[in-house]
Amino acid sequence: MDSRYDIQRRAGGGGFRGVSASGSPALGAQSRRRKIPPRPADFKLQIIIIGSRGVGKTSLMERFTDDTFCEACKSTVGVDFKIKTVELRGKKIRLQIWDTAGQERFNSITSAYYRGAKGIVLVYDITKQETFDDLPKWMKMIDKYASEDAELLLVGNKLDCEADRVITRTQAERFASRISGMRFCEASAKDNFNVDEIFLKLVDDILSKMPLEVPNKELSNSILSLQPEPEIPPELPPPRMRCC
Amino acid sequence: MDNSKQNEGCTDTSTLVSDDGKNAKSVLCQRCGSKVLCPGMAQFSEKELFLPSMRKKSTISQSEGSLDGDTLTAHWLVDDMFNFENVGFTKDVGKVKYLICADCEIGPIGWHCLDDKTSFYVALERVNHA
Repeated sequence: MDSRYDIQRRAGGGGFRGVSASGSPALGAQSRRRKIPPRPADFKLQIIIIGSRGVGKTSLMERFTDDTFCEACKSTVGVDFKIKTVELRGKKIRLQIWDTAGQERFNSITSAYYRGAKGIVLVYDITKQETFDDLPKWMKMIDKYASEDAELLLVGNKLDCEADRVITRTQAERFASRISGMRFCEASAKDNFNVDEIFLKLVDDILSKMPLEVPNKELSNSILSLQPEPEIPPELPPPRMRCC
Repeated sequence: MDNSKQNEGCTDTSTLVSDDGKNAKSVLCQRCGSKVLCPGMAQFSEKELFLPSMRKKSTISQSEGSLDGDTLTAHWLVDDMFNFENVGFTKDVGKVKYLICADCEIGPIGWHCLDDKTSFYVALERVNHA
């Protein structure tokens, strides 16, 4: 147990103090023999992708670093979450991305998904009215379970299907503007339009909110256990919805 | 990056394991080249593990009694999931989560038991090293 936490502290300890991994005393004598000591991640962030069935959540997650969009990959079979690494502002950031595909009924996604999330990507399909109509229900879940300072990004996906569009950009902008701190953009996972930008922007927003020196304790706590914690009644944060 | 494939087939560990028992090279997906581990992030470990065969998602099934697959011994042991560069985890199959490529989702390339939160195994035979 102790050694595990040592490892986590070491991994997070780089922080903003500059990440010359060779200078990390925790790596010990062994690493000095290596030509290139491993560089620990500077940040670990949990991001969840939510939205109604078929809006393209999984495609967004895959498109993030993969350059081969698979037309046949229509639904998620068995993938629980992914660890992905990005570099931004000279920092190496590990993202733990939870794609909730297959659990789209609002109440079936447990609060554990939301609780640790630093970023939430809420996706709808610009060609399907019902996926846009569902957004308030998703917002209720976010208000109920997510951290108040989680970054929110509304994504209108399937921009490649412009001809079938039923949700205008203005409609979605109006929706996003009523929620404090929510950004909005449209994207096409198929054409890789705006997809990288979505995640990088979200990560950038998260980083800009972080203190320059992140306490080690916080990083340790941000590490998710694979086994969901026992359900505890969530404390209700103040709702994000502004009064109309 | 050099995309050498010297590890395919038989597992010659001499060039892959550094003096301190860690991975001397990057660990990459065999299909898409996605980087799974940076050099020095995992410990060489011998443990007999059964992994269902690659390339057929349907073979990972809880209900089926006999699975197509291999019992593999040579693994990279990673003690923290955040030490991976890119990796995907399947949903639970019993007490096991299989590791897959985060980008092309080929797998299983590795194994993780929910009972041991600090052990993540990546089979040397199911990845490339470069």
